Amino acid sequence: MSEALVASQPPGTDTPVPGASGARQFWRRLRAQRAALVAAAVVALLVLVALAAPLLTALEGQDPTTYHPSLIDSARGGVPIGSFGGISADHWLGVEPQTGRDLFARLAYGARVSLAVALAATVLQVFLGIVIGVASALGNRWVDQLLSRVTDIIVALPLMIMSLALLAIVPSSFPRPVLVSLVIGLIAWGNIAKIVRAQTLTLKGLDYVLAARLSGWGAWRIARRELLPGLAAPVITYAALLVPTNISAEAALSFLGVGVKPPTPSWGQMLTAADVWYQAAPQYLLLPAGALFVTVLALTVLGDGVRTALDPRAASRLRVGTGRRNETGGAGTGKEETS
Amino acid sequence: MRQPSVIARRVAAASVSLVVAAGAAACGPKDNDAKGSGGDSTPHKGGTLTVLNSEPQTDFDPARLYTSGGGNVPSLVFRTLTTRNRENGAAGAKVVPDLATDTGRPNKDATVWTYTLKKGLKYEDGTPITSADIKYGIERSFAPELSGGAPYLRDWLAGAADYQGPYKDKKGLSAIETPDERTIVFHLDKPEGEFPFLATQTQFTPVPKAKDTGTKYEEHPVSSGPYKVVKNENDGEHVVLERNTNWSTAVDAERKAYPDTIDVRSGLDSSVINQRLSASQGADAAAVTTDTNLGPAELAKVTGDKELAARVGTGHFGYTNYIAFNPKVKPFDNPKVRQAISYAVDRSSVVNAAGGSALAEPATTFLPDQKSFGYTPYDLFPAGKTGNAAKAKELLAQAGFKNGLTVTLTHSNDKNFETSPEIATALQDALKKAGITVKLQGLEDNDYRDKIHSVKTEPGFFLAHWGADWPSGGPFLAPIFDGRQIVNDGANFNTGLLNDKSVNDEIDAINKLTDLDAAAKRWGALDKKIGEQALVVPLFHPVYKRLYGSDVKNIVISDWTGVLDISQVAVK
Repeated sequence: MSEALVASQPPGTDTPVPGASGARQFWRRLRAQRAALVAAAVVALLVLVALAAPLLTALEGQDPTTYHPSLIDSARGGVPIGSFGGISADHWLGVEPQTGRDLFARLAYGARVSLAVALAATVLQVFLGIVIGVASALGNRWVDQLLSRVTDIIVALPLMIMSLALLAIVPSSFPRPVLVSLVIGLIAWGNIAKIVRAQTLTLKGLDYVLAARLSGWGAWRIARRELLPGLAAPVITYAALLVPTNISAEAALSFLGVGVKPPTPSWGQMLTAADVWYQAAPQYLLLPAGALFVTVLALTVLGDGVRTALDPRAASRLRVGTGRRNETGGAGTGKEETS
Repeated sequence: MRQPSVIARRVAAASVSLVVAAGAAACGPKDNDAKGSGGDSTPHKGGTLTVLNSEPQTDFDPARLYTSGGGNVPSLVFRTLTTRNRENGAAGAKVVPDLATDTGRPNKDATVWTYTLKKGLKYEDGTPITSADIKYGIERSFAPELSGGAPYLRDWLAGAADYQGPYKDKKGLSAIETPDERTIVFHLDKPEGEFPFLATQTQFTPVPKAKDTGTKYEEHPVSSGPYKVVKNENDGEHVVLERNTNWSTAVDAERKAYPDTIDVRSGLDSSVINQRLSASQGADAAAVTTDTNLGPAELAKVTGDKELAARVGTGHFGYTNYIAFNPKVKPFDNPKVRQAISYAVDRSSVVNAAGGSALAEPATTFLPDQKSFGYTPYDLFPAGKTGNAAKAKELLAQAGFKNGLTVTLTHSNDKNFETSPEIATALQDALKKAGITVKLQGLEDNDYRDKIHSVKTEPGFFLAHWGADWPSGGPFLAPIFDGRQIVNDGANFNTGLLNDKSVNDEIDAINKLTDLDAAAKRWGALDKKIGEQALVVPLFHPVYKRLYGSDVKNIVISDWTGVLDISQVAVK
């Protein structure tokens, strides 16, 4: 059906609109990168843990908020009883000092907060970035000047300081995870808007877009049908790299005490509570720190993989589907044989 | 009623109560290891004692310091009419003479107090200390530019309410008479049997008028104590004290002053202080802290190490952490709801959140559990160790909340293990069992304090704490429960807005007593009586644990300050 649609459109029919074949190529290029595959698996696992947090903790027989005073040594500041922070069949990752709350449950529920906030913020950033970037590129001189300067200001704003200020003044009755997503989303869309504007300006000058204009299409229709498909690659690439940045930002804000509020668990908050325990109960600090590290690393590697797969120049170096991989391999073996 | 501005100063005091403790009451041990290290031989004289603190000694002016019992470091330089007894435990909660020959001679109704100075008292420059200098020292604490001390002098001295200090008003305070060089007489507005306790504060330090440099006096205050200030850098961040040769134990029975030099270094992070004290390397081996406690995690590490555990001092300062209700806010107007919450609290989880059984003791009385406060044990709404959810539910049903209740608990976001989120979440978890859903309202610390101390914005249900200006029931109960101390426009501490004539009358009656033991008993009985109204839910009394260096000997920790007394310490 898409073939038929494309065929019925006089202008731009010969442009490589990323359709089924584009996606297939993308997957093939992504699959060729082993690191990206591992990262994707890790991310999938994390998402699964986050989604299934209630199920998994039910399986463990725990929840993230119940206190277990019998599992901590009150006379020693509340350090967990037992080795490795009180790891047992009932508490897979041990318990939290001072409260005895289950760490696996808190970590799993914390993943929900981290991922949900980061994804929501990313969606908001991408949406704002595209709307403002395209509007800036397609608008007249004044619109472009205004939006570009606004974007410059937003880019120049320090994320952490602005977030701290904003989060401190909003009343605490406002749902915190939503607020954190909004704040991160509303502050850090500048770069993506700049990329979109630049790419749109490039596309605008291409023949197929000019043809569409000449045939009397409106700006909205051109943006939707001709420009957006061309923007997909840079936007997806940048968005993939925004997710880990946003996860770090959420953790940092919670760490500083202005993010998600207790008793809702979040990784950043766990880090704050745990930082003084690094000697007495190291696993308490290492768990959220490790989770954060693995998540950000996996998302970054995956984002990098996506960028490579979408970038034709980088992709050519992967030599996927060119047949050259075999040639090189053959040459290599040949060399070995000769030596 | 007090003036708002006067009370406002107490806000500051309450807010820094632990730091006040720094000045005065900060750390401490009083147990076996203390005896072990100090008792066997005469302590070594000489050497340098290092003090590692987080709060700098700003305002090192006797007029500006807000201390309990004269402070720790300040007490090395400033002697006062009376002082705290430098002994371990309960004996240390007594008031004893310092510059004066006794703790004060009252008239019949305790409105006139007379003191006589010891003979042979000298300043660091060898000039004699006179009663007129003590009067002058008190007068200058009324000067607006030297504010910061406790509000009691202005409230108690006859006709002192509007006095502006000696710089503006040359005539001075008529409430203080100095008939001769060694006699000083105080005339009070109303009977105050606890005047000897007040006379321990640094405002009762002699200040020679000729040497007074106003706000600059703090850089080099003239010493009457065992040490003089030889260096004060960065507004009290680095203070060096050296022996005052015009002081001797012949005229001072309380301070031992074994080291020759005291080197006070402040502005350090609390974790750095505890790390340096546990490592105890170089000069840190002869180091103590007068303001930094061990936190829960640090305690966990220290107790696992025998050598470190032997270097921890434990002390009790008169201090209570509690839940406060505002009975003007629904549903806390209903005593049954307040009682239900009293029954439902799980003190063991709260104690754990505060740092565990070594750092906090469960409290069922508002008064600290020490004899000097008149501690009378009571548990009017017995919650047991972990809360009595059944009884709480029963009371809620009687109050018309059969299907449970949703309330908001206001707390500070400061990580202080007192009014912090940890305590609030522990309560939230406990009240859940009684069918009470608790929503948490965490506020930035300044915002939180402004809110709870203003009658207009006071929330219905919040975390609070109170510490004593001296170890007696008076400064503990009166500010919180005396109906005449409710401040409608300004900082209010009577958060339960209690104005009960029988309570007010009993406070007045006890203030007339000059027999402090008899007064203590009545404060204890009054505490129990007020407790019946369930305006507060006492949660816990903190325990102070502090490390000291391996060369530090002669550890004395009184129940007055709860912290190691720096005037008794010797270094090897």
